[in-house]
Amino acid sequence: MNVERRWHVVRFLLTSFFLYLVWLVFTASLEPYSLIFGAIGSVGIGALTHTVFIAEHQANLRYIVPNPLHLVLYLFIIIAFLYQSSVMMLRAVFTGEVSPRIVHFRTRLRSDVARMILANSITITPGTITLDLNDDHLTVHWLFCDTNHAKAAGERVKGRMERFIGNIWP
Amino acid sequence: MSMILLHTMQWFLLVSAGICVIRLLLGPTSADRLVALNILSGVTLAFLVVRGVWEKRVLYLDVALVYDIFGFLGFLAIARFLKDRMSDGEEQ
Amino acid sequence: MAVREWLALVAFASAIIFGTAGMIGMFRFPDPYARMHAGGLLGTTATFSVFIGSLLLAPDRATAARIVIIMIFFLISAPTGSYIVGRFTWETGLPVWKPKKRRNITDKEQEK
Repeated sequence: MNVERRWHVVRFLLTSFFLYLVWLVFTASLEPYSLIFGAIGSVGIGALTHTVFIAEHQANLRYIVPNPLHLVLYLFIIIAFLYQSSVMMLRAVFTGEVSPRIVHFRTRLRSDVARMILANSITITPGTITLDLNDDHLTVHWLFCDTNHAKAAGERVKGRMERFIGNIWP
Repeated sequence: MSMILLHTMQWFLLVSAGICVIRLLLGPTSADRLVALNILSGVTLAFLVVRGVWEKRVLYLDVALVYDIFGFLGFLAIARFLKDRMSDGEEQ
Repeated sequence: MAVREWLALVAFASAIIFGTAGMIGMFRFPDPYARMHAGGLLGTTATFSVFIGSLLLAPDRATAARIVIIMIFFLISAPTGSYIVGRFTWETGLPVWKPKKRRNITDKEQEK
């Protein structure tokens, strides 16, 4: 069994497992008919779509399977960020003191899922919205800009979150 | 007490949806309209959840769940359509 | 009056504050990007607060479980919606609005 074929099988199993998990969450029933039908459906869809669901170039299992403890922790961290940034935004709405600017920087995360999560986290944190994500290059609109230096801006915008996400997908 | 809270919240969400529709109709550029539409989808989602808790029916929450997951697909289609139309206009 | 109703009252009150500020910001800022910041971020927080309040008032366990799933998916879908709008705005080539800086005026006055 060569490497490519084994990677196909692993992706197929992961996709089917994920689909079955979603099926269980959505139907929320443990009747045998529902369980069997869900298994057949998820295996069939997994066989058809595993090449789309997990791309060929993500050739490492570490890039896909997250660390569950850090993932749950990160969920709470993100909720805290959400409220903190809303209070900052509230002040900006009533005082009107903003200095908008577009900054570009690169990320060192390698996994596609981790980059997507990083882009979404940047949108949630204070005064920044991701405008474009192209491989590892991010374009961010920053409402409270106070620096002109690209590296300093990247550190201010994504520094903490990139370290957290680096723990989830090492 | 909880009924009063939920009732107030429903009225607040309805008024917010009305304001979003005003922005949607006023917006000078299509980007403004899309921003308003984005917020309108969030308000609709919150309204479905509050309504489901108020009437004690799980059906509303199932609808909200599907709307939550597939809501932005329609959104992506609108953005793509506007972009295509804009690039056609530049070529002609 | 139970404790969870007080907590729900706090959650709904914060939702009303954030939601009102979002609506004001959506009409006050002059530029789609800044409107996206105000409306998108504050709208997300207001909706999330409504979910927390509804979770506290949920009548049975099936409702509560569904609300938790909706909350988790909302944390993924709301920024994705903002990202779609942001990329659309960026690709149409809209310039970023900049406020008139007081510092530049004072610099010129100092030069004179």
